[in-house]
Amino acid sequence: MTYQAGIEKYLPLTEATYYIMLALVEPLHGYGVMQKVEEISGGAVKIGPGTLYGAFTVLEKEGLIIKTKEEDRRKSYTLTAKGRSVLLSQIRRLGTMSRNGLAVLSRLI
Amino acid sequence: MRNTITKFRWFWAWQDETEERWLGEMSKKGFHLLSVGIPGIYTFSVAEPKEYVYRLDFQNFTRKDKQEYLQIFQDAGWEHIGELSTWQYFRKEVREGEVSEIFTDAESKIAKYKRALVFMGFFLVLLSVLYWGQIVNENPYTWWGVIVAIYSLIILLLAFSFFKIAIRINQLKRR
Repeated sequence: MTYQAGIEKYLPLTEATYYIMLALVEPLHGYGVMQKVEEISGGAVKIGPGTLYGAFTVLEKEGLIIKTKEEDRRKSYTLTAKGRSVLLSQIRRLGTMSRNGLAVLSRLI
Repeated sequence: MRNTITKFRWFWAWQDETEERWLGEMSKKGFHLLSVGIPGIYTFSVAEPKEYVYRLDFQNFTRKDKQEYLQIFQDAGWEHIGELSTWQYFRKEVREGEVSEIFTDAESKIAKYKRALVFMGFFLVLLSVLYWGQIVNENPYTWWGVIVAIYSLIILLLAFSFFKIAIRINQLKRR
């Protein structure tokens, strides 16, 4: 119960954070994340390096991602168990919102 | 042979976007930023005009973090030109009219100004405490009045910058 409450405080994620976390289901370094986000969003979401670096700093501090590798000057990160829970809760929440929206869609158009 | 020109310009912390535009305009005229230095000395190389987008970030970090930071920018195609105090100067060529951004959402832009605010706030408090500690002491120096005046001016300017950046954050939040 308390664990769940701890998760809630991170929600809703911003669009950028959401996509960065989606990309980090597997270990990736900074530029890898930018490419992955563009790929999974079909080019709709682009993350600038300043935005990405800021997200890395915050997510790591909050224990949602962890460093996995340090190669030259590039660091790779991936989601922690807590990070996965947060991402999962966000996906569920978006799913609910989407279903609820679709239910009234016919009355809108 | 490489020709360079040097310019002096005062840079107010809340005018970072004006600074970015100015550097872009300079490049359009064929003056490309080579280096920046305290207290606002800009060196430009003279070459063919080119369309560059210049962007500034506010970062106050350790050397180790800086390597990772600069690598991410470099991988994303941004050239790090230098730093003026804690301001990081980047540029990227404009290709096919596409202007790139280092901050792609309002939240991260706000976070940048908040970093500047914390930094300035720290100095504001520090200087104010020192100021108070000195001002209550009767001081025998002849030039004491002048020193106090300069000191007061620095604190006032710092407080003004702090206030202007706080306004900028509010504007971004309301957008």
